[in-house]
Amino acid sequence: MNLTRYGENGLRIKFGDTINIGTHEEVRRCYFFLKALHLPDIIDITPAFTACLIHFDTRKTSYTKLAELLSEMETDMASVAVPEPGVHEIAVRYGGVHGLDMSFVCAHCGLTEDEVVSIHTAELYTVFTVGFIPGFPYLGVLDRRLNCPRLETPRVRVPKGSVGIAQRQTGIYPFQSPGGWKIIGQTEAGLFNDKKEPYSLMQIGDKVRFIKE
Amino acid sequence: MHTLVVDQGRYGQSAIGVPPSAALDRFACAAANWLTGNDASSPALEVIGSGLVLRFDIETACAITGAKVKAFLDDREVKPWTTFMVSKGATLNVMEVLEGFRYYLSFSGIMAVDKVMGSYTTNLECGFGGYRGQALVAGDRIEITESGLADIRIVPQKYIPRMHPPHKLRVVEGPEAHYFSEDSLKAMFQKHLQNLYTVSNNSNRTGIRLTGEPLVFREGVEKSIISEGIMPGTIQIPGDGQPIIMLYERTIGGYTRVAIVTRADQDLLAHLKPSDDVILEMVSLEEAERLWFEKREKLSHIDAF
Repeated sequence: MNLTRYGENGLRIKFGDTINIGTHEEVRRCYFFLKALHLPDIIDITPAFTACLIHFDTRKTSYTKLAELLSEMETDMASVAVPEPGVHEIAVRYGGVHGLDMSFVCAHCGLTEDEVVSIHTAELYTVFTVGFIPGFPYLGVLDRRLNCPRLETPRVRVPKGSVGIAQRQTGIYPFQSPGGWKIIGQTEAGLFNDKKEPYSLMQIGDKVRFIKE
Repeated sequence: MHTLVVDQGRYGQSAIGVPPSAALDRFACAAANWLTGNDASSPALEVIGSGLVLRFDIETACAITGAKVKAFLDDREVKPWTTFMVSKGATLNVMEVLEGFRYYLSFSGIMAVDKVMGSYTTNLECGFGGYRGQALVAGDRIEITESGLADIRIVPQKYIPRMHPPHKLRVVEGPEAHYFSEDSLKAMFQKHLQNLYTVSNNSNRTGIRLTGEPLVFREGVEKSIISEGIMPGTIQIPGDGQPIIMLYERTIGGYTRVAIVTRADQDLLAHLKPSDDVILEMVSLEEAERLWFEKREKLSHIDAF
């Protein structure tokens, strides 16, 4: 297991260097395994594309102790059953006032709006990670024909429900927030509810399909 | 002026992107609660700027910690870092902030504010927790139940940190420290060689931007990473080489992580205000652990951590 230290109270478990489904499956398995253990030593776990970050409690454990414990559990981790991913269909209004950057995307990719929509709705995407704000799913892998750069200067405010694309990823903004992705549409689906569990509609590993509304 | 309900932080939901949104000076926040006889995990108010006026409709005990302020209860000046009693109908007036940036107010009793995912702290961006997920504005009322008069407590002067610029922040190496040239790392972090940085106006509760001599990427390295989890206090370096110190509002990030502010110095981040000077200094992990242990030992009797 590739364990490295991150500051005084962080431990990273790295599974790879590129974004791919195999690495993602390992991150996901690791996350659900650790979560189910309910170790009091662990304050928080952040799974992402290639690594799991563990924020540990230095009053209860140390980097060395935790690293040892994790190494001992490596075999158990490999054989753990992970939950079935949730599947979500997200209705989107594409283009026009709903997709501020649709005309840029069409021009950049050399496609018509209908083509962009049909490519974006064709794929069954995987949630690689959820963050940087609550409930924001990083979805992949986006068809290479829609590969667009991020905005040079991020917008201060991207409207709630915006569906964006950036390089080989697509995502949904659950809240009005700053953001640098190219916006092609808008959904009314609720992605985050702070009042009741499950707080986030999506979690790591879920599958998502966009439907043109 | 800006007033928020905060606490020690919202933990356990990082996997769905929920950040800690903790009080930026966690020691001051916990100390304010200790002074009023509350649990360290209780909510408190975090305030930037003078001009805060609070009218009390109940009798309670109150305390102000964090930034050094000049404050009056009716016409009597109150001592910061010390419990004071408030009678029904009294008005507290914070006239001036003398040193530091953020100050904390605690009231004996239970503040009737929103507890979301185990924490009272406000996630301002998403609008949940604390006072309806928002900053307080004139005319808002917070109910306090089970308020009572606490014993008078005092945080001894020797435990009150210095908040005057220039601020020295000790840091430890981050996961991508090797992405940068040796010379520019020395110029940013090495004792006696390091440059001075200035806190930019463009700083907020998510991150503190510093401006100064940019850090130089080694030839051929990527200037960003595949997004990964970030720890509070991480110093990220975007493409322009200017450092951003991440606070408690993001769970993952795609910028390179050159260093992490030591835990012993993280509370000081609450007091970095625009145009303050900052010196960064690299220390070993062992040194960082020792500093944190020392800080906790020193403060253990006030039960804050």
